[in-house]
Amino acid sequence: MVTDERKREILKGLHDGVVEYDEDRVVELSEAAVGEGMDAYEAIMDGLAAGMETVGKLYDSQEYFVPEVLMCSDALYKGLDILKPHMKDAGEKVKGQVVIGTVEGDVHDIGKNLVKMMFEVAGFTVHDLGRDVKLERFVDEQLKTDSEIVALSALMTTSMLAMPKVIEMIRSKNPNVKVMVGGAPVSGEVADKYGADGYADNAANAVQEAINMVASLREMK
Amino acid sequence: MEQPKQPRQDKMTPPERMHAIVTRQRPDRVPFIPFIFGFCALNVGYPVRAVYEDAEKSFWAQMWTAEMFGYDGGPLYGYASFGGWEFGGEVKMPQSQWEAAPVVTRFPAKTPEEVEALEVPEVETAGAMPIAIEFAKIQQQFGMPVTVQGGGPFTVAGNVSEVDVLCRWLMKKPEIAHLLMKKVTQFLKKVADYFVEKFPGHPIMAFTGEPTAANQIISPKQFEEFVLPYLMDSHQHFIDKGINNIFCHICGEQNLNLPHWAKVPFGDPGLLSFGHEVDLTKAIEIFGDQHVILGNVEPRVIQEGTWQEVYELSKQCIEKGKFAPSGYILMAGCDVPVMAPPYNLYVMKKAVMDYGFYD
Repeated sequence: MVTDERKREILKGLHDGVVEYDEDRVVELSEAAVGEGMDAYEAIMDGLAAGMETVGKLYDSQEYFVPEVLMCSDALYKGLDILKPHMKDAGEKVKGQVVIGTVEGDVHDIGKNLVKMMFEVAGFTVHDLGRDVKLERFVDEQLKTDSEIVALSALMTTSMLAMPKVIEMIRSKNPNVKVMVGGAPVSGEVADKYGADGYADNAANAVQEAINMVASLREMK
Repeated sequence: MEQPKQPRQDKMTPPERMHAIVTRQRPDRVPFIPFIFGFCALNVGYPVRAVYEDAEKSFWAQMWTAEMFGYDGGPLYGYASFGGWEFGGEVKMPQSQWEAAPVVTRFPAKTPEEVEALEVPEVETAGAMPIAIEFAKIQQQFGMPVTVQGGGPFTVAGNVSEVDVLCRWLMKKPEIAHLLMKKVTQFLKKVADYFVEKFPGHPIMAFTGEPTAANQIISPKQFEEFVLPYLMDSHQHFIDKGINNIFCHICGEQNLNLPHWAKVPFGDPGLLSFGHEVDLTKAIEIFGDQHVILGNVEPRVIQEGTWQEVYELSKQCIEKGKFAPSGYILMAGCDVPVMAPPYNLYVMKKAVMDYGFYD
């Protein structure tokens, strides 16, 4: 059984490894966590995800930019690949399911991929449709997977106009699905105008918004 | 809504007004150039793609829309994903109602090996260059300055390798990022050389922009290392070749990069357009003594806002910019959205007519 001190050491190492985009360190400590019998979920949440939370703050304060964040994300995924198969009771830890994609006409997916990563580390099952996604595919995928949330991304003002159309299409099939929107030209005001349930201006807030929405859906049930 | 203003009459034609601006004289009023492409195509009944794939239709869609709304500045050809197709990849022209511009669908150099093997393309046949050359011939035929798309190099590089790949190379393989930047810059210089040779003695204006170098993506330090040297090199080359005015769109959030932009040559004067993220007063402080400042009505508001909001934003821009030492032109902060309500474009002109006169 891993000692508390060793556990703290591994968690701090995973956190720092993500922040310092040190892939080797993340791999080494993720393997150590598994090998020494540490709870994989704890290693993900309190190590990798905590690291990414720090990265988010560094991005907000303009100390990190997209190149650094991508490197951190690469390091995080290295750890996730090792730890995720060892999660006990994975089913119980799943917070919900999300269908995510960049809407038709828009090929910009860096932001969408960061939001996707945050959903994954937070324990959501993510169905990523990619970029330039035909509007019907959001509807079909939601129905197929029974996902609670659909997350739409756009960088272009013209593509952004597809969002209210998708929202309408999803609602006509399944009124209880929560739809969230994001991307550079989108604002809270635009989200309200389009009839979205949620909006976030960064990846971490998107996940928190999603958690709140899933909680409200489960209360309804 | 305040009382309608007394209608004013222009004392200059659009070409006279633009001539005044580039020769550092005060025009009758603040010029208005919206920065507009796909909107023009739809406005005259063409599909959006026509403005990017058909030189003749692109030219006339822009001319007729300018006539209809009464704005200044001539048509120009260019697109933000420039480079991907030209270096051997593929682009998709806008097709559905949600698409506004060409996008790269196959990036020609996504690995270090592909960058090493990448050849600088022949200008005449590269990607959209035949369309751009045909467009330039029409400009020449109508006595307008010929415009040449000149980058910016970092944005072109992102279109060749894909932006996230390029971002990772900045961190992990800086030598590959520099190699790509060198090849891209070489191509941009070749493009300018071609136009100078093809249109001897005719006025040429270079059109550049660096959306991918915005601080929403890279740091000022990365800008200094990976963007600035190539931007300076390409712009200086254009100037050395006799291109006196560079119209550069400093797109997006560039506040931390502004001290670096201040080192870049833009011609005499350059025309520097800013996104809504950069305050016009700050832009004038840094660049206004030497260059004409353009901008920066937020495109989202032009598309989503009421006409009153667009009019008010335009008025604020005019009030900030009007007395910039080397002149000011009212412009959107980026490409006018294709689906913007036409009346929102009209009120930008109205704001210029109400608040832009100098006497």
